[in-house]
Amino acid sequence: MEFWTGGGMLSRSRIAPGALANGYEAYIRDAKTAEDLGFDAYGAPEHHFMYDGFVTIPLQVLAAAAAVTNRIKLRTGAMLQPLYDPLEAAEYGAALDVISNGRAMMGLGLGYRPYEFDGFGYEKRTRGARHVEAIQIINLATRHDTFSYSGKHYQYENARIHPTPVQRPIPVWQLGGTSVQAARRAGQNGFPYWLANSSFDRTKIMVEEYRRAGREAGWPQESLMVAAQKDICIGATVKDAEEQRQFLLDNFYDEHILGYGYLVDDEGKHVYGATREHPMYQRFVSSFFCGTVDMVIEELKRYEAIGMHAVSIGGDKQLVSTKILPEFKRT
Amino acid sequence: MRVGLSWDLDTSRSATEAWQMALEEIGVANGYGYDSAWMQETRDSAVSCSSPSTFMTAAAARASSIQLRAAGIMVNKHHFVRLAEEVVIIDLFSRGRAGMSFAAASRCGIDPGQVHETIDFLLTAWSTDEFRYRGKYVRFPRHTPDSAAEGASEPAEHREYVPQWDWGPATPDYLAITPKPYSTTPPVYVEIDDEATLEWAARRSISPFVRADVPTEEAIRRLRRYRQLADEAGLRRSAVEPVLERRIGIDADGTAAVLGGSSPDLINQIRSIKAQTGISHLVWRRTAEQTGQSDSLLKFAGEVQPMLQA
Repeated sequence: MEFWTGGGMLSRSRIAPGALANGYEAYIRDAKTAEDLGFDAYGAPEHHFMYDGFVTIPLQVLAAAAAVTNRIKLRTGAMLQPLYDPLEAAEYGAALDVISNGRAMMGLGLGYRPYEFDGFGYEKRTRGARHVEAIQIINLATRHDTFSYSGKHYQYENARIHPTPVQRPIPVWQLGGTSVQAARRAGQNGFPYWLANSSFDRTKIMVEEYRRAGREAGWPQESLMVAAQKDICIGATVKDAEEQRQFLLDNFYDEHILGYGYLVDDEGKHVYGATREHPMYQRFVSSFFCGTVDMVIEELKRYEAIGMHAVSIGGDKQLVSTKILPEFKRT
Repeated sequence: MRVGLSWDLDTSRSATEAWQMALEEIGVANGYGYDSAWMQETRDSAVSCSSPSTFMTAAAARASSIQLRAAGIMVNKHHFVRLAEEVVIIDLFSRGRAGMSFAAASRCGIDPGQVHETIDFLLTAWSTDEFRYRGKYVRFPRHTPDSAAEGASEPAEHREYVPQWDWGPATPDYLAITPKPYSTTPPVYVEIDDEATLEWAARRSISPFVRADVPTEEAIRRLRRYRQLADEAGLRRSAVEPVLERRIGIDADGTAAVLGGSSPDLINQIRSIKAQTGISHLVWRRTAEQTGQSDSLLKFAGEVQPMLQA
């Protein structure tokens, strides 16, 4: 099982404000550290027009990490693909892949913030369909020298991207979704699927649904890879770990999860202005795993046992590297 | 005069090899005191660089003082919001060394106005908080009405602050491009291939860039015309940085577009061009054969570059 990670320095924190340039410099150091500590992939996220200067173009940012690393894969998570033209996205990916000598990975999310769509001039309501087409296009564009594609939203004839990437194709993961429906759609499309934060039990249900839908659609087993975004908090006691979780929620996550329409109810509608009592927020909180080192190892073993290709985790990289990574068979 | 480098990427190599050679040469040039590195946007071979900003972000992590320029940017191949964001990313990683040069409209097959509006948008985006833009080609945010003032405009009055996370499903009339660049305003340049752009750039203090494949005589003509229009507009010469890109053959023959000769010959040729045009920045377009040959970089840095200053 692979272990992916990332750095959180690419925005200005309200509780620890600092110069963004310092954060960008720290990000480069952190990428090298992650590689030295044995992580398999290092990442960058994406948002736009944010008050805290949240990082905007993950494939470009990862080029800085590429310049100081040699082995670690460089993954976006999530790159908000419906805000890109598919060929534009593919060319960013190809550029990173060339600079990194074949280490780019594109984790593509749907996006959900209305003002981001409005800022870029793309329709939010067509994001799902465009997303599917775009992933198919990026696969074609990075696999073949030239390609043609005829879809509802995009049409290409003998198109090509530049440069020619090293990886043919560049690995693309469909990222996000905490619903069974989302898992089913990902399986039907045959895309490798990176699940958003969920409890293990819910993850297991979604993985089973994804694989079932993928098999029924005729996709080969080896293409139906799954990865999990998993927030873990490690403490000397469960209480310590839960306090860490609360700190993360109070100072980072609450704003992102309760606001902006991130939460989606069981009918698929975005929830704006949710409170901490909202069941979807409670579900998000319960997706964290809080425990001691041994408890975390046991929990992650459950993911390994269901054939998870990778888990993407945060937290103390040194601790994870020395206490947790050695307990797992590495891909 | 500042001296920078740009590259013909070696199409006989893999993209990884060709790009690594250019990146390594940026590192060497950084050490020799070259002022700038420019990577041109191209889409004509397997090694072409379609994303000079991504390339220069990698360079920023490897070279500590050289200025970094994403060049030949074809505005119709990019989203204008992302172009603004791209420069900021380079600028933050490099602590203020980013800039962007734009391809001529004729090379993109588009109306010059699209180039002008894009540049105007970027300059606004970097220097303004919430704003909106109404142009023929650029509209930001998308729902900006036809009744909005042409070009960039800001909110006319203060409205009670609402945190972004509480905006709900509504989209505001004004948005801010964030983060902001490290430097106050990253430099921008534009190829002055067409008269409309030459005139527009001259009257707005947008620095001109003349590419290596333009014959030297024609390059001089355009730069003189730019300077004439800028003078007529009463603009300070110090407000712009006219850039001339040339292929250079040290101890080799020159051509209509290539500067060639011994070091003293090159000094005189370049200083003559400077006297005629007022260029303040020369960019050496390195051929595929030259890339990786640090001897020529060292020779030019030692025997030519210092003699261009005074």
